Amino acid sequence: MNRPLSEIKDEELIKEFQDNNTLEAYETLVRRYKDPLMNFVYRFVGDKDACTDIVQETMIKFYLNKDSYKSFAKFSTWIYTIAGNLAKNELKRRRRRTIFSISDNDDEKTPQIEDKMFHSPEKLTDGEIRNEIIEKALLKVKPVYREVVILRDIQDLSYEEISEITGLAVGTVKSRINRGRAHLQKLLKHIYKD
Amino acid sequence: MNNIYNEKEMKNSELIKDLKNLPKIQAPENFEYNLMTRIENRNFEKTEAEKTNFNWAKFFAPSAVVVTVVILFFLLMPQSRQNDNKFASNDKNIESQALVDNSAALKNEILNKSGNENANKSAAGTEKRSLEKPNPNSPQPVGRIPFGYSRSVSLDDYIKGANNQDNLIQGNVVNSGETPSSFDGFFLVEKPDQNTLKKERARIDSLKNAKAKADSLKRLKKLP
Repeated sequence: MNRPLSEIKDEELIKEFQDNNTLEAYETLVRRYKDPLMNFVYRFVGDKDACTDIVQETMIKFYLNKDSYKSFAKFSTWIYTIAGNLAKNELKRRRRRTIFSISDNDDEKTPQIEDKMFHSPEKLTDGEIRNEIIEKALLKVKPVYREVVILRDIQDLSYEEISEITGLAVGTVKSRINRGRAHLQKLLKHIYKD
Repeated sequence: MNNIYNEKEMKNSELIKDLKNLPKIQAPENFEYNLMTRIENRNFEKTEAEKTNFNWAKFFAPSAVVVTVVILFFLLMPQSRQNDNKFASNDKNIESQALVDNSAALKNEILNKSGNENANKSAAGTEKRSLEKPNPNSPQPVGRIPFGYSRSVSLDDYIKGANNQDNLIQGNVVNSGETPSSFDGFFLVEKPDQNTLKKERARIDSLKNAKAKADSLKRLKKLP
């Protein structure tokens, strides 16, 4: 391999890592995907610490199970699938913890998008506040819809890629995205009046 | 179909634009360093988020099922099956019944022996003496003790290693291994009391004499 690693495609890098156990190839892939995965997992889970742990775990799983990757699939969909599964597990664990926890704190469970009451319409145009409200609303959408909305509208993946990651049919992916968006629009109706 | 989705996408265009413009989250600076350190140290333990927490519901659900099954088993089990082991409950009865049966067996033995002696005398010693075998059709005292005589073993003989012909003929050998055993149990053998033997012999002789006299009288009556 004479080209610099940064110019090599993902699939070639993982092949190199699988065949020759080249740690540089692995590091390059980690560098490429750590931020997109952090973004995806953070939007899905809504907790930065847990998100860092999940992405670390994703990379460890990638390192340990490199041979389970098959070259006919895209590397990006494979790594997103691992991260998505770990994020879903984390959400399930949290739900269980919430059910059995004696000292439930409702503030932790439900994002308070009702904060809008304290913001005047002029202030809502302020980007930071607006983003904060959207983020909180996104966490209120059901995980099955949230995942696909994040992958499509935030991560900018194609329907086919999302279909591969989630294991759903493309049609199902599209309808779930629309439902997710509609729910989000409903939650944010004070921002998007029409 | 695609048009519907495109229309909806247009409708939500502002929302989609805002979602795209949400601030991008970046991994912490030491992310790679921590990861590579973990890999070098081969520290692949699950992180705190992955660790499974102890769950009371998970713990109680299976144990509650087991406890319920055990309680139901004892409540619904028929009463008769609880005292299935007759040996454990009726030791004294079994012992007394076995003694009664042994004395009956002793009587049979004496009758057989004296019968054989007579037969030998009448046959002038030409016929070979055949072994007396217990008649399988003869009634067995099975109902009185928890095992049948025809399917049991003389304990004394068995311990001595002299498993006599009767035991073997009856097929009452204690088996081992996977072959199903026909063995039903041990019975107690009492040594015959000499006085009882004498009394029984005298009684049987007198009966025989009486029978012989009756026969001779009948013969005399038949004579013209």
